[in-house]
Amino acid sequence: MSSFSPLRRFGISFWPGLAVGAALLCLAGTIFAQIVILPQTTTVSAALDAQIWSILRFTLFQAALSTLLSIGLGTALAWSLFHQRRFPGRGALISLLSSTLVLPTLVAVLGLVTVFGRNGWLNDLAEALSGHSFGAFLYGLTGILVAHVYFNASFAVRGLLHRLEAIPAEKFKLARSLGLTPWQRFKLVEWPALKGTLPSMASTIFLLCFTSFAIVLTLGGSPKYNTLEVAIYEAVKFDFDLLRALKLALAQLAVCAFLVVVASGLRASSSAIAQARTPSIWGEPFGARCAQLGITGFCAIAFLAPLAAVLIDGLQADFTKLFAEATFRRALFTSLVLASASSVFTIAIALALGFARRNFSVPGRIPASWWTPVVSRVLAFSGTLYLAIPSLVLGLGFFLIARQFAGPLNFWAVIALLCANVLMALPFSLAILVPAMEKTALRFDKLCFSMGIRGIARWRLAEWPFLRADLGYVAALAFCFSLGDLGVIALFGNQDFATLPWLLYQKMGSYRTHDAAGIALILLALTITVFALVPRVFAGGRDAET
Amino acid sequence: MTRITRLLVTFILASFSIANAQASDKPVLTIYTYDAFAAEWGPAPKLKEAFEKTCACTVDFITADSSIGALRKVQLEGASTKADIVLGLDTNIAEAARATGLFIPHGADQAKLDVPMSWNDDTFLPFDYSYFAFVYNSEKLKTPPTSFAELANLPKDFKIVVQDPRSSTPGLGLVLWVRDAYGDKAADMWKKIAPKILTVTKGWSDAYGLFLKGEADMVLSYTTSPAYHLIAENDNKYKAAPFSEGHYLQVEVAGIVKSTKQPALAKKFMQFMLSDEFQDIIPTTNWTYPATKTATGLPDGFKGLHVPAKTLLIDGKTVEENRKGWIDEWLMAIGR
Repeated sequence: MSSFSPLRRFGISFWPGLAVGAALLCLAGTIFAQIVILPQTTTVSAALDAQIWSILRFTLFQAALSTLLSIGLGTALAWSLFHQRRFPGRGALISLLSSTLVLPTLVAVLGLVTVFGRNGWLNDLAEALSGHSFGAFLYGLTGILVAHVYFNASFAVRGLLHRLEAIPAEKFKLARSLGLTPWQRFKLVEWPALKGTLPSMASTIFLLCFTSFAIVLTLGGSPKYNTLEVAIYEAVKFDFDLLRALKLALAQLAVCAFLVVVASGLRASSSAIAQARTPSIWGEPFGARCAQLGITGFCAIAFLAPLAAVLIDGLQADFTKLFAEATFRRALFTSLVLASASSVFTIAIALALGFARRNFSVPGRIPASWWTPVVSRVLAFSGTLYLAIPSLVLGLGFFLIARQFAGPLNFWAVIALLCANVLMALPFSLAILVPAMEKTALRFDKLCFSMGIRGIARWRLAEWPFLRADLGYVAALAFCFSLGDLGVIALFGNQDFATLPWLLYQKMGSYRTHDAAGIALILLALTITVFALVPRVFAGGRDAET
Repeated sequence: MTRITRLLVTFILASFSIANAQASDKPVLTIYTYDAFAAEWGPAPKLKEAFEKTCACTVDFITADSSIGALRKVQLEGASTKADIVLGLDTNIAEAARATGLFIPHGADQAKLDVPMSWNDDTFLPFDYSYFAFVYNSEKLKTPPTSFAELANLPKDFKIVVQDPRSSTPGLGLVLWVRDAYGDKAADMWKKIAPKILTVTKGWSDAYGLFLKGEADMVLSYTTSPAYHLIAENDNKYKAAPFSEGHYLQVEVAGIVKSTKQPALAKKFMQFMLSDEFQDIIPTTNWTYPATKTATGLPDGFKGLHVPAKTLLIDGKTVEENRKGWIDEWLMAIGR
C-alpha cells in the first residue's frame, strides 16, 4: 500500500482529472461505437467505394497543397517581417496575423468573396486598369486554397518569426562579416533554425485543412470539390443516407487517427526563446529590401482587405431590421450562451486535466510505477480527442444517439455543440495551461507542502495569481472558437435552434447579402472585443505575466 | 458535472421556448417548403392570407434550402417534427418520400386536376407543373444551344449553373432529362457537359440568383420562367432555350405528414390547393402552370411561351429504383 500513499495525498488534484479524462474517452468510445458497430447492413456498392476513394484523394490533395502554400508564404512573410523591423504598424500587423486563430471562418470567407469574387474589388480594379477580369476564380479548388492559405499562412507566421528571433545575434554578425548574400544567409543561418519547427507545424496545418468544413462548404462550389467532412454533411442533409455518412465517417476516422499518430511523432525541437533585439545597424541589400517590403506589403493588403471588406459592407447593413428579426435575436442569444458555457467547461476540464497531469510530470509528486505511464497517457490523449474525431463525425455520432433515444432533437443538438466546441478548444488550452501549471508546481510545491497550504488556500495563494493571465487567454480562445464555429450546427441547425454562423450561412446561401454582411460584422466585432477584453479582465488590470 | 450540464441545457431550451411562445391560441398549420416558394415574392404570402381567411388558423411556411431539403428536414427531425404538410416535392422524389412512411392520404377530390399526365395518387396531390429548360439572356447570348448535343460541343468558357440532384428537384430533373433522352449514353453526355458547369448549387434560387448576377450564360430553370421577367419586370430578354431532345415534365406535389396534430386542417388545405383562388395565385408567383383549369385562365404573358413538342417523363417507380445509381453516375461523370 505504501506506493499508493502519494495518491491519497494528491487525490484531490488527481481524481477529478482522471474522471474527466475517462469521461472524454467514454464519449469518444460511444461516438466510435455509433459509427463502427451500429450499421448491421453493410451492402458494399462499388460505386460508393470508388466515390469515397475519389473524395479521399481530393481531400488529401487539397490539404497537401494548402499546407505547402501556407508554409511557403508564411516563411516568406516571417523572413520579411524579421528583417524589416521599423515600419509603422508592424506590431499591429503581427498581432492581427496571430488573431486569425479565432477569426470566424465564414466572416473571412465573406470578406474574401467581396475582395476576390467574380464581382469583387480585385476584378473591378483589374477591369478599370486593364479592361481584363480574372473571372470567377474563387470557385472550386482555387477558392479552397486561397481561404486555407489565408488562415494558415498567418497562423504559421508567428511561430516562424519566433524561431528567427531566437537566432543568436552573433550568427548574423558572422554572416555579415563573411559577406553572405541574403540567400546564403537564409540557407546557412535562418533555414536551420526554421527547419526544426516545420514538421510539427506542417502536420498541424495539414490536419486542419484535411478536416476543413466551412471553407469547402462555402467555396467548394460543386460536389467535385468535396472533402470528407462536407461529404458526410451532404450524405445526411441531402440524401439522408446514414449508411453512406457512416462509411465516410469511418474513412475520415481512420485517416485522422493515422495522421494524429504520425503527427505526434513530429515534436518541435527544443522550444525557442526570443531574444530582445536591437534593430540591426546594417541595412539589408537593396534587392532583399525591396523583396521584403514587397512581400510584407502584398501580404498586409491581401490579409487586411477582406477584413476591411467585412467592415465596409457590414456598416451598410440595416441593423434595426436585423435586430427586429426574432431569428437573429435568438441566434445571437444562443451563440452567446453557448460560447460562454463552452468557455466555462473548457477552463474547468483543462484545469482538472492539468492538475492531474502535473502529478506525474513534476518531480516529488507521484513516483513512477507500473500504472503511471498508462494513466498519464490517458490524460494526455483525452485532451487531444478533437484531432482524431472531427466535428462532423462527432455531430453524426450524436445524431445517431439522438435517433435512438426519445427527446427533442434540439436537446442533443445543444449537447453535441457544447462537446464539439469544448473539444476543439481543449488542445490549444492545454498547450497554454499545462506548462504554466507545471511551473507553479515546481515553484511552490515545497513551500506549500511544508506549510500545509492546500485546497482553496493553495489555489488562492500559489495558483490563481500566476495562472489568471493564461486562464483569461484560454477563456477568450474557447469563447471565440465556439462563437465562430460552423461545424456540428450545420447538421443540427433549424428555425428554432440557430447560431450566428449558421444564420450567416443561411443568409449567404439565399443571397441576402446585406443581412449577411451585418451578421459578419457583429461576429467580427464580438470576437475582437472578447479577445481584447477578457484576458485583461482576468489579469485584473496587471500586465500578463507569461 | 452532469447536473450542471442538464441545468444548462434546460435553461437554454427554456429560453428558446419562451422566445418561441406565440400569443394567439389559434391552431397553427406548419408547411415545410423550398425557399423560393416561401419568399416575399413567392406564392406563400398570398396563399397564407387567402387560407387564413377561411380557416381561423395561422399558416406558418418554414423554408428548407431546397425542395428535397424540406423532405430531409422532416426525416431528420423524426417524430418531433413540427411539419403538418410538405409542399414542393415532385413526381421524381415522391416515391422516395412515400417509402419513408411519413405521409398519410390527403383525402382530396382529384377530379378537377388538369396536368399533362394521368394522376391518381392518394398520398401526394399536385399543385402546379412546368417543364425544365435552360434560361438565357437573349441580349448577351444570340445563338443559344438547341440540344444537349449542341451544348456539349460549345467552347469551354460557356458556363451553365445547375442544381444538385441530391438536394433539388430541378437538379434531379436534369439528370432524369438527360437519362430519358440519352439512355445508357447519359454518362458520356455528362462528361461532355461537365466542363461547362460553373457550379452546382443546393437549390433553384441559388442558381437563378447567380445567373441573374451575370455569373453564367445559362441556368437550369423552367420553360415558364421567362413569364416572370415578362409580366413582373416587363422585360423580354430572358428566354427558355428549346431543346430538340424534348423537355422533361415536372409536376410539383404536396403531402400530409403522418405525425400532424392538425389532420383536419391539413386536409382542408389540400382541398384548398385545387381551388381557383389558390390556382390563380400560382402562375404569377411561382411562375409555373396551374394544376387545374380555373375560370380566369392563364395570364397573357404565358401565351407566347415555348411549349415543348415532345414531353419526357420517367415514371416515379422506375426513377426510385434507379435514382441512386443514376446520381452516382452523374457524380462520377462530373468529376467525383
